[in-house]
Amino acid sequence: MSKYLSFNDIVFKDRRLLLSALADLGYSQIEEGDTLPLFGYRGDRRSETAQIVIRRQHVGPLSNDIGFAHAKDGYRPIVSEFDQRTLRDGHFLVQLRTAYSERVVEEVKRRLHGTAQRQVEGGVVKIRVRF
Amino acid sequence: MREIEFTIDPATGELTIHVKGIAGSDCADVAKLASELLGTPTHDWNTPEYYLRPQVRRRVQPRRKP
Repeated sequence: MSKYLSFNDIVFKDRRLLLSALADLGYSQIEEGDTLPLFGYRGDRRSETAQIVIRRQHVGPLSNDIGFAHAKDGYRPIVSEFDQRTLRDGHFLVQLRTAYSERVVEEVKRRLHGTAQRQVEGGVVKIRVRF
Repeated sequence: MREIEFTIDPATGELTIHVKGIAGSDCADVAKLASELLGTPTHDWNTPEYYLRPQVRRRVQPRRKP
């Protein structure tokens, strides 16, 4: 039996893995709460609220707060257009998804008591978990 | 040995999971675990191998002339 599953939406289902992925990218100063307000780089309050927030002072000098709003399908990122363009050379969300995916693999391996073999093939990372 | 192959594209961050050689409810359990951590898959399809059934071929032997 063989099956493929692909995940293309930018949504982070598991809170703990999201926090770990953020820490992997160097964002460990995180605020958590029910409806935390988000602020822009001038200190102006944004209309959105989020449950997980990286305050702008931990992001960059001209950055806005980055939030993750809890929806029924997981945590959806709230990142300003400016930060999407500039943060980590415009690759913040891609790098976060990659870090999150790596964390997912670790979690699956741990839960299945498996072993992992990693290799890079044609620019993509392949990790085989055997159990 | 059962295997799950994860493919991560660092250019997009997209993740694809290929579950190999896992039958029945075990396969569903792996899919459930993936959904628990990743949400609902954008695409979910079974490979041709999934539908493969053992084929019995009738062997026809030429008649021998008496």
